[in-house]
Amino acid sequence: MPDLGLNVLLKGKNMQRLLSGLWTAMRISLIAVAISMPLGILLGVLMTKKNPVVRAVLRVYLEFIRIMPQMVLLFLVFFGTTGAFGWNLSGELSSIIVFSLWGTAEMSDLVRGALISIPKHQYESSEALGLSRSQTFAYVIIPQTVRRLIPLSINLITRMIKTTSLVLMIGVVEVLKVAQQIIEANRMASPNAAFGIYLTVFLLYFIVCWPISMLARRLEKKWKD
Amino acid sequence: MKKRYTAVLAAALALALTLSGCGGNASGGSDNSNASGGSANASGSSQASSSGEGSGAASGKTVYRTLDEIKESGSINIGVFSDKNPFGYVDENGDYQGYDIYFAEQIGKDLGVKINYVSTEAANRVEYLETGKVDIILANFTVTEKRAEQVDFALPYMNVALGVVSPDSRVITDLSELGDGDQVIVISGTTAETYLIENNPEVKLQKYDSYATAKNALENGNGVAWANDNTEVIAFALQNEGYTVGIPTLGSQDTIAPAVSKGNESLLSWINDEIVALGEENFFHAAYEATLMDTYGPDFEETLVVEGGKVTQE
Amino acid sequence: MDWTVIAEYMPLFREAAFLTVRLGLTGIAIAIAVGIACAVVLYYRIPVLKTLVSFYIELSRNTPLLVQLFFIYYGLPKIGISTNPVFCGISGLAFLGGSYMCEAFRSGLEAIPPIQSESAESLGMSRLQVMRYVIFPQALSISVPALMANVIFLMKETSIFSAVSIMDLMFTAKDLIGLYYRTTESLFLLVVFYLIILLPISILGSLLERRLRYAGFGA
Repeated sequence: MPDLGLNVLLKGKNMQRLLSGLWTAMRISLIAVAISMPLGILLGVLMTKKNPVVRAVLRVYLEFIRIMPQMVLLFLVFFGTTGAFGWNLSGELSSIIVFSLWGTAEMSDLVRGALISIPKHQYESSEALGLSRSQTFAYVIIPQTVRRLIPLSINLITRMIKTTSLVLMIGVVEVLKVAQQIIEANRMASPNAAFGIYLTVFLLYFIVCWPISMLARRLEKKWKD
Repeated sequence: MKKRYTAVLAAALALALTLSGCGGNASGGSDNSNASGGSANASGSSQASSSGEGSGAASGKTVYRTLDEIKESGSINIGVFSDKNPFGYVDENGDYQGYDIYFAEQIGKDLGVKINYVSTEAANRVEYLETGKVDIILANFTVTEKRAEQVDFALPYMNVALGVVSPDSRVITDLSELGDGDQVIVISGTTAETYLIENNPEVKLQKYDSYATAKNALENGNGVAWANDNTEVIAFALQNEGYTVGIPTLGSQDTIAPAVSKGNESLLSWINDEIVALGEENFFHAAYEATLMDTYGPDFEETLVVEGGKVTQE
Repeated sequence: MDWTVIAEYMPLFREAAFLTVRLGLTGIAIAIAVGIACAVVLYYRIPVLKTLVSFYIELSRNTPLLVQLFFIYYGLPKIGISTNPVFCGISGLAFLGGSYMCEAFRSGLEAIPPIQSESAESLGMSRLQVMRYVIFPQALSISVPALMANVIFLMKETSIFSAVSIMDLMFTAKDLIGLYYRTTESLFLLVVFYLIILLPISILGSLLERRLRYAGFGA
């Protein structure tokens, strides 16, 4: 059995440090999720409105945010805003802003998609049954939309968690940076640490994201029929 | 379908406008980007001397914190490497260690403030000062003319040149030995990168953005050699079996110094005084013995350490 | 913003953009092939292979590309599996993209009612023929929107290649900022070039989606 460099994890507080690095990334994604879910729902509903100005503005926002790689957005916010507005944002705050903006854009698109996927005849039949507009929404449209939406939003959450690995690039000390520090500090004692440590990070992300994906899939199956 | 096109076009247009707006502000506000362009009708120098306003951004506010503001806040942000053993790295207990850190700790102590270490990469160091994300950069920062246009360097505390390390199986002793398919590893934003681009444009570079990844790539054989500060490549060869520093010095002898945001004179002069005062108690020799002796042994002490900010040229 | 700097940087960014597109498209092409193969395996519930494919999909979908690349590029050589940056980037993108493409094709395949393959088989077509002439063309058109979304997603993900020393657009911008401290110009060019690459794909995607939606109404 070759040395896989896993023993490094047991030295000092290394494992604990990796986990706290993972928590740093999780914290960023959880805050961003908490911000972007309600905002995304709001924007998504707004986008189904007929007002052309609102729609155009939202479209521009949505297209730009969704088309730019998240890494570019991180750089724009982290370095660009100081030049443009004199803001001085920490890496973590920049990440939260970027992931909230991006999450909101993706979420609003999911909401819009779910809303327009409800066939028109549902509105018409509800009306024919004598339901008021708010009753139609409360008892007919929203329950159906939510069922379509929840699995998709859970998937979005895993995507956001995965993407937070990029914050390494703007100097946030998250799990990958901690991994690098550990590899660097132990280069002499365990030259193969890069294998063991990066494998551990890989598995840590999997352990976090997999149950969430499974939940999404289960809900999707359950609500399909 | 038409609507969609218009929307997308509008998006592109709005974006271009916003960006060029930002751009206008930025080049107007932070004189430092203009100064290096050469066409900046001396705004660089005049602003730098008119203390304070120098690196202010569009809002007219200064990006940096003065000495008093730092003291008042009770903590100082110092940008350091977290993966450049033995100068700046993190040990298994999560504590920052190394030659740069030894000095940083002393600064914190003498200022009477808590230190908040910010992990930087080579390519970010100037940016971190320009945007005020840190108060001081103490990340093995080599003094160069070009950098001095963007940031203010204090007195030096270490000597440095460039060096090239390669595996024993094929030691590169001269850049001319490099063949067509050979790539040299460098770290983006280091003096080694700048030097090779300017003086040896024929050398093919393989660029990494952190020390950890660059060293890993050398170990994995992704490049035939690694060019960096000679202090660092010597340390690497000493710490890892199977590597030789084939080119111990390349380019000019330079120094390493702390840097602050352009125009932050109160902090700059405090650091300078500190370095001179520490020189009287041979502080940097003590720093060498505490942090570098294990790696280098006693042989490099005199060539490496700069005491009291005074460089003694051999 | 200094336009002379922009002009000076332009060739570097152009080269980086070509590299980005070349690597991105290669990775995506392989991802599509992997995706189709996996989707077919899942569709026919081929034993053993089915388990392997499911395992691969879970692994690939629930880990970030950056971590995948770090593991492939910096970790694997320690146990004797060495790669170069370009190979690593492309295989990483294919590893990630394969599972997303598989999901896209699978949902397309599953949308075709079983009665179609039953009728086709009763007409005397072989299983392969049924797949080739009946199921696949329909499934493909159903999965086009998801496919295009994946293409954009994967093209964006190429920005992560910068972590393994590939001089793509992202790394070029970062490198120039570190070398000459021209942040505004570098970021501007970065955004413009990504728009040039991604905007057409995005527009094409929504055009295709619309066309298919209309086709759907007619049916």
